[in-house]
Amino acid sequence: MGQGQSGLGGGLNGHAAQGSGRNQNDDKDKKKKKYEPPAPTTIGKRKKKRGPESTNRLPAVVPHTKCRLRLLKLERIKDYLLMDEEFILNQERLKPQEEKNQEERVKVDELRGSPMLVGTLEEIIDDSHAIVSSAIGPEFYVTIMSFVDKDQLEPGCTVLLHNKLNSVIGVLADDADPMVNVMKIEKAPRETYADIGGLDSQIQEIKESVELPLTHPELYEEMGIKPPKGVILYGPPGTGKTLLAKAVANQTSATFLRVVGSELIQKYLGDGPKLVRELFRVAEEHAPSIVFIDEIDAVGTKRYDSNSGGEREIQRTMLELLNQLDGFDTRGDVKVIMATNRIDSLDPALIRPGRIDRKIEFPLPDEKTKRRIFSIHTGRMTLNADVTFEELISAKDDLSGADIKAICTEAGLLALRERRMKVTLEDFRKSKENVLYRKNEGHPEGLYL
Amino acid sequence: MVAPVDKKEVAVNPVSSDDPAASKKAPAKPAPVELSEEDKQLKEELEMLVQRLKDPDTALHGPALEALRTQIRSATSSMTSVPKPLKFLRDHYAELKSIHTATAESANKRVLADIISVLAMTSSEEGSRDSLHFKLIGSGEELGSWGHEYVRHLAGEIGVEYEARNDADESTDDLVALAKEIVPFNMKHNAEAEACDLLMEIERLDLLSQYVDEQAYQRVCLYLVSCVTYVPEPEDAALLRTALEIFRKFERYPAALRLAAQLNDLALIKEVYESCPDSAVKKQLALILGRHHIFIEGGSIELNDLISNTNLSSHFLSLARELDIMDPKTPEDIYKSHLEPSRGAGFGAGVDSARQNLASTFVNAFVNAGFGVDKLLTDDGHKWIYKNKEHGMMSAAASLGMLYAWDVDGGLAQIDKYLYTEDEYIKAGALLACGIVNTGVRNEADPALALLSDYLTDKKNIVRTGAIMGFGLAYAGSARAEFVDLLTPALNDTQSSMEVVGVAALALGLIFVGTCDGEVTSAILQTMMERTDAQLQDTYARFLAVGLGLTCLGKQEAADATLAALQAVPPPFGRLAQVLVEACAYTGTGNVLKVQSMLHICSEHFDKEKKQDDTHQSIAVLAIALIAMGEDIGSEMALQTMNHLLQYGEPVIRRSVPVALALLCVSNPKLTVLDTLSKLSHDNDLEVAASSIFGMGLVGAGTNNSRIAAMLRGLASFYQKEPNQLFMVRIAQGLLHFGKGTMSLSPYHSDRSALSPVAAGGLIAVLVSCLDATNVLLGKSHYFLYYLVTAMHPRMLMTFDENMKPLPVTVRVGQAVDVVGQAGKPKTITGFQTHTTPVLLAYGERAEVATEEYIPLSSLMEGLVILRKNPDYVAAAPEEDKSSKYSSSG
Repeated sequence: MGQGQSGLGGGLNGHAAQGSGRNQNDDKDKKKKKYEPPAPTTIGKRKKKRGPESTNRLPAVVPHTKCRLRLLKLERIKDYLLMDEEFILNQERLKPQEEKNQEERVKVDELRGSPMLVGTLEEIIDDSHAIVSSAIGPEFYVTIMSFVDKDQLEPGCTVLLHNKLNSVIGVLADDADPMVNVMKIEKAPRETYADIGGLDSQIQEIKESVELPLTHPELYEEMGIKPPKGVILYGPPGTGKTLLAKAVANQTSATFLRVVGSELIQKYLGDGPKLVRELFRVAEEHAPSIVFIDEIDAVGTKRYDSNSGGEREIQRTMLELLNQLDGFDTRGDVKVIMATNRIDSLDPALIRPGRIDRKIEFPLPDEKTKRRIFSIHTGRMTLNADVTFEELISAKDDLSGADIKAICTEAGLLALRERRMKVTLEDFRKSKENVLYRKNEGHPEGLYL
Repeated sequence: MVAPVDKKEVAVNPVSSDDPAASKKAPAKPAPVELSEEDKQLKEELEMLVQRLKDPDTALHGPALEALRTQIRSATSSMTSVPKPLKFLRDHYAELKSIHTATAESANKRVLADIISVLAMTSSEEGSRDSLHFKLIGSGEELGSWGHEYVRHLAGEIGVEYEARNDADESTDDLVALAKEIVPFNMKHNAEAEACDLLMEIERLDLLSQYVDEQAYQRVCLYLVSCVTYVPEPEDAALLRTALEIFRKFERYPAALRLAAQLNDLALIKEVYESCPDSAVKKQLALILGRHHIFIEGGSIELNDLISNTNLSSHFLSLARELDIMDPKTPEDIYKSHLEPSRGAGFGAGVDSARQNLASTFVNAFVNAGFGVDKLLTDDGHKWIYKNKEHGMMSAAASLGMLYAWDVDGGLAQIDKYLYTEDEYIKAGALLACGIVNTGVRNEADPALALLSDYLTDKKNIVRTGAIMGFGLAYAGSARAEFVDLLTPALNDTQSSMEVVGVAALALGLIFVGTCDGEVTSAILQTMMERTDAQLQDTYARFLAVGLGLTCLGKQEAADATLAALQAVPPPFGRLAQVLVEACAYTGTGNVLKVQSMLHICSEHFDKEKKQDDTHQSIAVLAIALIAMGEDIGSEMALQTMNHLLQYGEPVIRRSVPVALALLCVSNPKLTVLDTLSKLSHDNDLEVAASSIFGMGLVGAGTNNSRIAAMLRGLASFYQKEPNQLFMVRIAQGLLHFGKGTMSLSPYHSDRSALSPVAAGGLIAVLVSCLDATNVLLGKSHYFLYYLVTAMHPRMLMTFDENMKPLPVTVRVGQAVDVVGQAGKPKTITGFQTHTTPVLLAYGERAEVATEEYIPLSSLMEGLVILRKNPDYVAAAPEEDKSSKYSSSG
């Protein structure tokens, strides 16, 4: 044991000791003990928050395929949980913990003192020390009290400090960027799949690539494929891209985040990419989730040499988006839906397979679909008996879903103008003319054909 | 039997997850508005067909049925919605059924039955099993023609129906016949798991092997074997036997042998071993048997050597040379006390130097175990032994055994001189050392028997203790009947102290581990009856119970007789023995019911005033860990249960929780467990602290884990004034660096699938002694720590050619991945690194050969593996050649 006493000075010996396991020949001349770096602390790293706390997380169950083994494993977990419940109930009956908890809480409150200061955690030094800064200015090297949940500490989070000692006595829950929280849809839109006329194959495709991977992952595992990560919806304006996304949001129980491409363009350098990162971080925290980016052409246009700082910033935002879609970190259950009406102007890197696995085209409706769209929109209108849509449908005009809706509304307005209670076929004819005239921006039909 | 419900869910799913527009509206209102032109047409056509079936004119029935059938079959749809024809025919389901009853027996009737059977998949009420009934009276045409979903649905209904008929004692032949059709279909369509499930449900696993082919058998066996720990007995044995039959059918002897060993069926092991025609494979089998500590007589000398692990020491030493760790380490190298954060100026005030020397002895023994060289004992002419006192001398002498572990000849030569000393402690230690050297290896000459048998009846208790303990270690697991008579005198001798009795019972338990040998159990039981209550209150008395438990290790229901006999032993001790025996009997089975009953024991409360004995509660905590450690899910859940026990438990439970936690992850430094143990190591209750420190050592045993090392150093300075805790810290440090980080104490081997009963026995003995650490480990009987020797094993992978010459090859070592039930050929390891053998495998790691030049003869790359040259190997061969015969069976 005598040798150990010279040890304290030896701590300065630098890095020479990484592989000290090999040569433990303590020759007489090299008395100095080697320095061994302490094991890295487990706390204080930025970590991905995924699901509930690691302590009460249930073990993962493989295989995902529905089979007896899976059932047996899940039942085993259930059995243990039931046993735990029984045990706890028994114990609570015999000696309630309430009082003890109360007592302990009082003790902790005593230790915390009041008032408490609010500061920011700058850096964690080791398991029990950290550097904090408060709003007043100076930074302090302080101890972390043992009752603080160290798993929640991470650089940059807001902490409570003791009013005299400045030691860390608590963690305040940290919220994500408020910008991102706005994107989360709290109230589901009211459009459902039933409100979509036609687009049957598109609905099926989007279900297969966005909804099913979240609800039935085992189907994909059985087949041995990775489910698609995202889809892009493209097609002329007014063909129902956003409507379909709304229906998805209505239907799914997953977190639905929606953002418009232009929202990602920010005033300051680096804000746009940061927002993208935050967006995906929030998405992952709330996984399973669906991210819907409307009008992606706002940020996703082809890259080209540009001298304008703004242009370059937009491109950098897109590069961040590229990274988030298929970068180094794996995304969990986060699906991406994008919508645009100018797919040809998008950067090819953005829509390559692996980032966006499925491209779903939304064509202009054919006759049958037009009829369904008309019937959907006129479903609640009072129509005159003479109204048939054959004439409107069979005309060779490029009517999109939105146009049809506009025609119906316009017809209703015309009837209203004349104080009629019913919409006649004549109204529809007139409104169609109006709508198409406006659509072509005042040019008479067929001028540029 | 809840599986069918699961199946049902699969089949019924389409309805529920169909888009709401369809499923809500279809039954409620006909809503023809919603239907598109084609749909309307389809619907009308189907209605027309149904109408036609109602027609009395039977001539038209044939074509109508044919049309219906093509309509249904041709329908394709999204994977989760109901095909349209089925949706439209839903309304007519009852109608069709009544038509069926009305129709006279004919070919048409049977075809109609087929169609109804398919429709029943979506239309019948829950639990009616119409699909199956109509299938059975149908035309019996090929199953697959109606699609996969239908087959699945049928399989689900068969399971339910089988159970119902079994309850009612009806014949199930038709069900089995149908199953015989379904199973090959499943096998062909990549659904091995479903085929197995179906056969398990109808309890006809014997049919399985005839349907398995070269492609599927590995997946099938893997699936079956993974199910084993989750099914109740006796189904687990049935699964193992089925898998074993399949392996034998495809001549995978190593895998078959492992399963036979898992079944613990000596006759079967022998049969598999002897049926192997290939000499090189047979060598591999011998190596596997050696790892399992199972001895089969009557091979060539070479095979015998392999089975009896004769060369284990030389292999281990060559591994050590390869890794350049032959230089001995002193305890100070392990403590690294210069790194300990210092506390105050007084260095080691009030330190008990005898304690320190004793700790150094153990650390030295653990760290240099098996290497045959050290700096403490052998360097300075064995003066170290005399630096200890009494029992310390015994442990010091015994540590020689650890140093020379497995090296019978070399070790005995070193130990020999101490056998003739005057000092009884040294003599006892030397006897113990003889036993330790022989642990895990078998020698034809039986040196341990020759040396130790004379001392088994020695007058002096301490010498007897050493001899008996050594004897038990040397022949652990051998189950040789002649040893009963050698050891029972010590049990029955009223002169011998309780310690000797306990050690003798342990020795018997270890030797006859997992045999339920009647003679041994009755001998121990008799001792329990004869001893007075006061003697049974002695702390060593519990080792009687441990010995009894070990004889029934893993025997499950076979231990019931012993349990019943224990009823006769009066309560405090009888209760303890019952709990212990039950725990041992269900070790590693994951039996939830037993865990529950143990938890019930833990939830009892005792009044301190009434002086009720509650030691059996601490055993119950250990029992939970013992039972749950067999499978991953259970052990993970048991960790949570332990947290609850900590929160609510009485002191006696709190003290045993760290021990139980350690048992759940021996040599597997899990962060969550370490956190808990680290918290507990500062507990107010010093006994909790001591056992959690020991637990930290066990959890990190043989891993050199730097985090644990740092924690222990911190603890060393924290407890520098508490000799007991400091001693534990030192022991834990020694355990952490067991064999300089080359050994594992985990009782599980062969890819964590097989439990070594001997290793488990040794661990149980140490852990039970740890439950009363103050009296045993921290008292005079610290040599109980040497029971760990049965569990120690190098966690190495060495490769040999067919003539047992070392053959370095490149291997990939990585984290093992559970690949049960995955499609295609999934990777079995992840995050791998490429090394050249010999290599060390950490907990949960798996290796595979990285070159195509050699094929391992054993499917599991662990321990000693023989490689065979790949006959198809061409220098720059393309990747595909890899799927050769022995490359990757379960």
